[in-house]
Amino acid sequence: MAALIDIRDLAIGYGDAPPVLEGFSATLEPGSFTALVGPSGVGKSTLLRVLSGLAAPRAGSVALPGRAQPGRRTTAMVFQEARLLPWRRVAGNVAFGLEGLGLPSTERRARAEETLALVGLGEMGRRWPHQLSGGQRQRVNLARALAVAPELLLLDEPFSALDAITRHTLQDELLRLWRETGTTILFVTHDLDEAVYLADRVILLGGRPARAVRDFRVDLHRPRERDTTAFAERVRELRGALSESVADGAGI
Amino acid sequence: MARLSYAVLGLALFLLLWEAAPRLGLIQSLFLPPPSAIPGAFLGELRAGFWVDAVLASLGHYLLGLAVGTASGTALGIAAALNDRLEAGLSWVVRILRPVPGLAWVPFAVVWFGITEAAATFIIVVGVFWINYYAAFGAAKAVDRDLLEVADAFGHGGTWPRLVKVVLPGSTAGILAGVRTGLGQAWMAVVAAELFGVPGLGQRMMQASSLLATDVVVVYMITIAALYGLTDAIFVQVRDRLLAWQR
Repeated sequence: MAALIDIRDLAIGYGDAPPVLEGFSATLEPGSFTALVGPSGVGKSTLLRVLSGLAAPRAGSVALPGRAQPGRRTTAMVFQEARLLPWRRVAGNVAFGLEGLGLPSTERRARAEETLALVGLGEMGRRWPHQLSGGQRQRVNLARALAVAPELLLLDEPFSALDAITRHTLQDELLRLWRETGTTILFVTHDLDEAVYLADRVILLGGRPARAVRDFRVDLHRPRERDTTAFAERVRELRGALSESVADGAGI
Repeated sequence: MARLSYAVLGLALFLLLWEAAPRLGLIQSLFLPPPSAIPGAFLGELRAGFWVDAVLASLGHYLLGLAVGTASGTALGIAAALNDRLEAGLSWVVRILRPVPGLAWVPFAVVWFGITEAAATFIIVVGVFWINYYAAFGAAKAVDRDLLEVADAFGHGGTWPRLVKVVLPGSTAGILAGVRTGLGQAWMAVVAAELFGVPGLGQRMMQASSLLATDVVVVYMITIAALYGLTDAIFVQVRDRLLAWQR
């Protein structure tokens, strides 16, 4: 079971400029699916980079479960672009994060194969990244993160560059993988429909400097249907709050 | 297939013109020995044992000089690409040393090492060092920053893991382009390195030319061309295997 993640009073900024995000606090329940939405420039991607340890915050703290279990990493990131290493075969890319965890190579290989099967690419391990379609590359991107069995899975608009059909397929895949692994998910998107379809909870960032302006519970039961009035109602509510926050943000 | 037949045709025409020029008296055969004179000259060199000795001696200088020059140039190039202070510190040293032609180092090579194998090897090292330095520097600088961030995100953020898992594989294509240029440059340096008396192909060429044995000079020119062709062909095989992941 994944542990609780506690973010306290986080501030994020670039260089000497005033912070883009300030006073951000959130507690992510174990195994929850949270979407982070907001206009561009509010520091959504940077927030993910701070949570994954790629960038340091200006202020505040993030309490992540320590590296408790061997063979796992605390966080794993699914990037917007697939960012596969072109000189590694698909299976080698999936095994990338498993290296350096003290696992024997046979186990690394087995876990990479297992995770590839999980994302529906069981037969593709020997391929080179350039031999895959855009959707398949994004699955490998996802598999690379899932392979390290993270406590917290961070996704940075992972489906935004895909066509609508592939996007919807991968959204359903992600929900299935979330159920099967029980990992905690924080998902950045600017697609409100996507946020309502996927998440238990939607945090809306806005203002300047940005803070969490709204925190919605999405109480629709799963599997969710896009063409129901309840679904459309949630999306409309979210869109209203978003345009309100944009109107409030001075100078946007 | 058409390409191959044109290549054969071009080569045949070239040899024909070369043969005709001295035979028709357009040029003295002392100045330009006809190709038909070359096999005889070659057999003479081979029977006397000069050819095998010269080839082995030069191959020794070549391979050692190439290995040392390529490894050190590549290592320093990557180090400079990864370390801003080193890059800045080297910037003017590089500008001063780089344009010095290999031949200009001959007096120093002789003073430092004497007329020895080491002197010849040194000239070859200098000849390929900068090519590999610049190739590796440029290739390592051009490694995709997004991929370095992937390394950081998956626990490979240290200098060594980054180098081994991303920088080296990511700059292999660029490094190998430099190595290939160095392969040819090193053969040119071999001749220069042996002009001052270290045994090898260059020395044998100089001896022949001072005796006006131009047919023997041509034998060694062709020998160097053939050895270069062989090393380059082997290199391409190795490179294609290393870069199999490219489309």
